[in-house]
Amino acid sequence: MTGHPANGLDDTVHQRVRLGILTITHEAGQVEFGYLRSNLEVTAGNLSQHLGVLEGAGLVTIEKGYAGRRARTWISLTKAGHTALANEIAQLKLLISQVETTEQGSGPAAAGDG
Amino acid sequence: MTTEAARPGDDPHRLLSNARQLARRVRKDQRATWFPLLVFAALTFLAIPVRRYSGHHLTCRSLPEGPVCVAYTNADLVYWPIALVLAYVAIATFYIRRSRARGVGTRTRPYAIAGVVIAAALSAVAFWEFRHPPLGPGPFNVQGLTYRLASPGTAIGLALLVLVWAERNRALLVLAVAYLAVVLVPITFGRQQVDPPWYDLPAVSQGTVLLLGAIAFALAQRPLRSPSP
Repeated sequence: MTGHPANGLDDTVHQRVRLGILTITHEAGQVEFGYLRSNLEVTAGNLSQHLGVLEGAGLVTIEKGYAGRRARTWISLTKAGHTALANEIAQLKLLISQVETTEQGSGPAAAGDG
Repeated sequence: MTTEAARPGDDPHRLLSNARQLARRVRKDQRATWFPLLVFAALTFLAIPVRRYSGHHLTCRSLPEGPVCVAYTNADLVYWPIALVLAYVAIATFYIRRSRARGVGTRTRPYAIAGVVIAAALSAVAFWEFRHPPLGPGPFNVQGLTYRLASPGTAIGLALLVLVWAERNRALLVLAVAYLAVVLVPITFGRQQVDPPWYDLPAVSQGTVLLLGAIAFALAQRPLRSPSP
């Protein structure tokens, strides 16, 4: 692994919907399938696929239950899920700061003396 | 690491800002600030008749200048410890039920633990004060301040600060600071607080701040309570 932060990005997490799932679940502690679907603006099938990937990677646990007669699916983060989210956020911040530093470093040269 | 082509949605800036936006939305959906404020306002107003019509305990100390007696009502020693614990149970239950109905969890444990600790500390201080009454009744002296610091109003103020932390709610921080100022700075218009018309003034002013806060937060948070499709 080289020192470039892009190499530290995890393919499982580095994706809009999956990062969204981890972020919402981290913030909420536990979240219902319908809440994720409406906030991430994805179809139920698409969300199920992404949840399957995250569950397969051991980042979330999925629990099915009932609220009265209504079936409900609750999603929680595992310890590995919390770690993966923290790593992804740290890598993204690092990547952005490196890009900004590079842009600032090359900025005056590119801009010339005005 | 990846052989997939980068998609615009996976741009680091956009991913990070999207994550922050989602986290903010969850926090907003978890908030129900008006409810604890309403509960504390109701308890404060209810304490007025309890304080007036419940029994009193008199504790005296002999000083060289003569005996000094301080009266404590059942509101201080019985009503508030019980009311605060029940309030925390009601608030925690409300948050859990509401968040489950919305499909998003909420962290009530730190709030409930802090609430019970504050109520226990208040009871201990009230009992200690009963056994060791303040020597001077003046609201501006050091012991008057100590008495206010150990008051139910301060306990509610501390509970609001815990709620600020739990909800990460800056608007509530402003209200909590304003409320604590009302609690700690005596409003007597130069009169003794024990005079009948002024006796209930601190409770009325504190309850009013809480009630106005509850109404303001209920109105501010109302558009977020969108009906489920």
